[in-house]
Amino acid sequence: MATYPKPLPKLNGDSSFFWEGCRQRELRFQQCAACGHVRWPPAFLCPQCHATEVQWVASRGVGQVYTFAVYHTAFHPAFTADLPYVVAVVALDEGPHLLTNVVGSPPDAVYCEMPVEVVWDEVSETITLPRFRPFSTSSRSLR
Amino acid sequence: MATMLTAFSGDDAVFGHFGATGGYALAARRAMYEFGTGPETWKKIAVGQRKWANLNPQARMYTKPMTEADYDNAKWVVEPFRLPDNCLITDGGRAIIVTSVERARDLKQPPAVIMGMGQQHPSTEVAQSTWMAGPTGAEKAGAMALSMAGVTLDDVDACQIYDCFTYTVEITLQDYGFFRPGEGRDWLEGGTIEPGGRTPVNTSGGLLSEAYFMGLTPISEGAMQIMGRCGQRQLGPVTHTKRPEIILCSDNGGVLQSHSCILLRRL
Repeated sequence: MATYPKPLPKLNGDSSFFWEGCRQRELRFQQCAACGHVRWPPAFLCPQCHATEVQWVASRGVGQVYTFAVYHTAFHPAFTADLPYVVAVVALDEGPHLLTNVVGSPPDAVYCEMPVEVVWDEVSETITLPRFRPFSTSSRSLR
Repeated sequence: MATMLTAFSGDDAVFGHFGATGGYALAARRAMYEFGTGPETWKKIAVGQRKWANLNPQARMYTKPMTEADYDNAKWVVEPFRLPDNCLITDGGRAIIVTSVERARDLKQPPAVIMGMGQQHPSTEVAQSTWMAGPTGAEKAGAMALSMAGVTLDDVDACQIYDCFTYTVEITLQDYGFFRPGEGRDWLEGGTIEPGGRTPVNTSGGLLSEAYFMGLTPISEGAMQIMGRCGQRQLGPVTHTKRPEIILCSDNGGVLQSHSCILLRRL
């Protein structure tokens, strides 16, 4: 695989379980073992109840666009070829808000509350990025 | 620049999300969805503030008028923001000297007196925020400052609002209570914030059209207006506005994560 020219996530003790999940094409989030709150970004205690006991859950990778922005400027040269591209906050059905991209749709067809589903983009041997595309009819029948 | 922005943006940069413009664009887009604002509202802020800058020889945009058509024709930076929705980038400085009222009485310049202040910091990072369309910290910070000062919004003669982006001005005025969600466009109609308007806002041109000195652009202008040192942009007869007794100034940080409000008055 050619050298990936864009920034890559910096894995650490809190986030490596998430990126390892992505490599296996699964969105994994921490869930508070005390109150059940599903959280992102990873943290050592629950932002709702402050408990430290934690487990993780796999998301179905389905949600809605909470908000989005269309970049017409490349602040990093590696994104020039992508312009215009969509950065979005996706509200997953399990609760967490994830900053990501919406792909597979013209930018002017994206809207708040648009149903979306995860699509995997393997950018290196260790990193696979979760992006989102419009929710397809075939997937909808599985809900 | 790219290296700095990439480091600053952390893992957001993985998805091509950089700096403040993108963050505030996310907030502004959610506000468009929740209460129907958009470029038609923000245009009146950008154009109105530019008219003030055109009266301010120190402003970067002093010699550059902007019409509504200029705004409409400006390029997108991060949609829904066009270039004139973004503040300037400026090298320079501002300073405020704070002393006691007792000492200030003996000074050559008439002072601006701090009559109330408030802060509120919702803190949540923008991607996790569920209040990017308000109420932001401005709601409680503004109420706190007004309460401390013992006045209401009706007593405020002008505002100097931290305007990193046009939307920031709208959501701040809205959260203070100048108008209800989505009614900003009507409130701004007819030159409300412009020279000659009933509630002048960002009378130096602000961060959008004067210069970016962070929170010191609004507060220094508030103090200068109270002191009567603003020349051809001076509130009062020169600009067909009320001579200011009370001016409200704001500051906010992060992407709407922290907010400060301060009320200044004539001694």
